[in-house]
Amino acid sequence: MKKFLTVYWYELKEFLQSKGFVITTLIIAILGSATLFILPRVFNVADKAESGFEDFSSDGLKYVLYDPQQLVGTELAKQVSGAEFIDAADETALKDAVSDESADAGFYVKSEREFEVFTLNSSMFGDESSMFSGIMTAAVRARYCSENSLDPTEFSQAVSPDIMYTETTLGKDAASSYWYCYMLVIVVFMLIVLYGQMIATGVASEKSNRAIEVLITSTSPNSLLFGKVLAGATAGVLQSGVIIGSVLASYSINRELWGGMLDMFLAIPPKIVVIFALFGTFGYLFYAFLFGAMGALVSKIEDISRSVSGLMIIIMFVYFFSLFQLFDADGIAIKVLSFLPISSYTTMFARAAMGSVAAWEIVLSFVILLASTVGTGMLGAALYRMGTLRYGNPIKLTHALKTVMKRRD
Amino acid sequence: MKLEFKDIRKSFDGTEVLHGISFEAQSGQALGLLGRNGAGKTTAIRILMDVFHADSGQILSDGAPFNAKEHRIGYLPEERGLYPKRTVLEQIVFLARIRGMKKADAVESGLRWLERMELSQYKSRKLETLSKGNQQKVQLASTLVHDPEIIVLDEPFSGLDPVNSQVLKDVVKELIADGKLVIFSSHQMGYVEEFCDTIAIINSGEVVLKGGLSEIKRAFGKNRLFISSISDAPDLLEQKAAKIDGITVCGRARGGLILERREDVTVKEIMKAIADSDIDIDKFGSYEPTLTEIFVETAGEDR
Repeated sequence: MKKFLTVYWYELKEFLQSKGFVITTLIIAILGSATLFILPRVFNVADKAESGFEDFSSDGLKYVLYDPQQLVGTELAKQVSGAEFIDAADETALKDAVSDESADAGFYVKSEREFEVFTLNSSMFGDESSMFSGIMTAAVRARYCSENSLDPTEFSQAVSPDIMYTETTLGKDAASSYWYCYMLVIVVFMLIVLYGQMIATGVASEKSNRAIEVLITSTSPNSLLFGKVLAGATAGVLQSGVIIGSVLASYSINRELWGGMLDMFLAIPPKIVVIFALFGTFGYLFYAFLFGAMGALVSKIEDISRSVSGLMIIIMFVYFFSLFQLFDADGIAIKVLSFLPISSYTTMFARAAMGSVAAWEIVLSFVILLASTVGTGMLGAALYRMGTLRYGNPIKLTHALKTVMKRRD
Repeated sequence: MKLEFKDIRKSFDGTEVLHGISFEAQSGQALGLLGRNGAGKTTAIRILMDVFHADSGQILSDGAPFNAKEHRIGYLPEERGLYPKRTVLEQIVFLARIRGMKKADAVESGLRWLERMELSQYKSRKLETLSKGNQQKVQLASTLVHDPEIIVLDEPFSGLDPVNSQVLKDVVKELIADGKLVIFSSHQMGYVEEFCDTIAIINSGEVVLKGGLSEIKRAFGKNRLFISSISDAPDLLEQKAAKIDGITVCGRARGGLILERREDVTVKEIMKAIADSDIDIDKFGSYEPTLTEIFVETAGEDR
C-alpha cells in the first residue's frame, strides 16, 4: 500500500507540475465561467430566451415576388411577414434578383394554392417556405372572407381559436434532461479517451526509455499500474471537476440574468451528479487499466494507436449508442447495456436521468462495474507485468491473454 | 551471504535458452558473469531479480531458497533508463522509496550518492539535460541509493569516459570492500580482471567455465610458454619454433607465439634449444593468459 501511494503521488505530481495541465485547466475554467458572467451583462439574453430567439424571423429581409395573377400582392405579404417585398417583372427577373443577392429569396405564385421559392443557398435555419405558405394561407382566407362578406378577425378566431394549456410531468422530463445527459456522456467519453491515451503513452514511454526494468524490479506491477492509473484518474477528475464546478457555480450565480436559458445543460439534479460521478469514475478506471495494459504490449509510442484500436472501437460504439439511445431511455437495449461494465458508465446515469430505473438496478449495475474494474485492474497488472520486458513487434492481445492465463494455471 | 544458482533452466516459446546453469557468488567478492551477446547472462540475472521464473532449478541464499523480495538488491540493467522529464534527485528518491526507504532517509542517501558521483550540482536538473555519462552515473546512484546487500551491474561502464570510469571503479571497489555481493556482467574484460575474484562464462546457455580467476589463469597457462622475436616475422618465428623438440605452437598473442610444452621436457631444456637455434629472442617466459584470451578460447565458438 505504501509503495502504491509512493507511485501514485509521484505520477500525480507529474500531472500537477505540468504547466500544460495547469494552464489548460485554468484557461478553460476561467473562459467558461467568465463567458457565463459576461455574456448576459453585455447582451440581453434573458429577453431572447423568453421570446425564443432561435425562431425564424423575417424582419429586415428583402424578398422578390413574381405574382402574375395578383393572388397575393406585395402589400399583403408585407403585412403578414413584416419583410420587404418587391415585384418582379417575370420569372427570369426574380431568379436574377436572387442570384445577384439583391433579394434574400424569391417567390413565384403559380396558382391560388401553389408557389415556388428560390433561394441562392439553402441555410440550416432558413424557413422561407413556411413563412410564404403562411402568407398564401392569409391571402386565401382574405379572399374567402371578401367573397362571403365575412369579418376576417371573426373568421380567424372561429377557425384558429387560441387554446390555453399547461403541462405537468409527474415522472421525469426527458426533454429537459436530454441536453445535460448529452453533455455528460461527452464529458466522460473525452475523459476516457484523453486520459486513457495518456496512460497508455506513459507506460509505453517507460518501456521505450527502458525505465521499466528498474521499476518492475523495485516494486510490484500492481503498485505500478494501480498507482499510475489512479493518478491519471485523480488528475482527470480534478481537471473536469475544476472546469465543470466553476462553470456550474458561475451559471448558478448568473442564472437569473440568463433567464434559465441554459438549465437544460447546467441545472443537473444532485442525484444525477452523484450517479454520474460514481459510474463515470469507475467506468473511466475500468478502461484506464486496459489502456495501461495496452501500453505495455508495445515497445514504441508510435505503436500505441494500433494497440488501443480495439479498445477505441468499443468506446466509440458505447459513445454513439448512448447518444442515440437517449431518445429511448426505457428501451430494452439501453437496459441491457446499463448492466454491462463496458457501457454502464454512460447508460445507467442516462436511464436514471431520463427513464425509469429502480434503486436496486443502480446498485446492482454499480456492483458489477466495481467488481469488473477490480478484475480489469488485476488483469491489466498481469498483462503489464507480462508485456513489460518484451520488446520488438507489438504483442497481440490474444497471445498476451493466453500467456497470462497459462501462468495462472 | 552465499548465492548459488543451481541447475537453472529457462525456455521461451519452446526454445531452451538456459540449459541448467550453476555458479555461485559470495559477499565481499565480485563475480564476473561473462558471455557473448545472447549467451543467457541477462536472462540469468532477470531470473535472480524475479523478472522471469526459472522452468527448473533453484537459486539459494546461504542454502535456503532465495526470494528477491526479501533482500535489498541494487540492479543496474543493461537496457536502462529513467524518467527524462523528471529532476535527478526527485527520481532517485522515488526509486529509493518504492524499494522501501523512508522519505527523509531516501533524500539523505540520494544527496550523499549524488555527491559521491560528483553530480550534486545537477540534483534539480531534468535528467534529459545531462550528458550520457552523467545520466549513467545518476542511474548508478539510483541503483545504490537504498544501500543494497546484493548489487547486480550489467555493463555499468558503457558510455563512460575515462574520468567517469575511474569514479565508478572506485565506487565498485568500495562496495566490494564493504562486504557487498557484487555480480558484474561486462564485455570489458579489463574491468572484470580488476574487480572480480571469480568468474562464470556462459556460452549458448551453458556455464563453460567458472571458478577463481587466478586459478583459471594458472590452469590456462599450465605448460604454456611465450616467445617473441626482435627481427623474425611471426610466420618465420613459427617455422623456426616448430623445429624445436618438445614444444608445439598453439597460438599467437601479443606479437609472439604461445607454445605448449610437452610434459617430459623441462623449461630449461627448451630454453637451451631456443638459445642454440637462430631465433633472435626478444621475450621468453611462462605464459599467463589474459581474461580476453581465456574468454575467446572458451566462448569463441558457437556451440
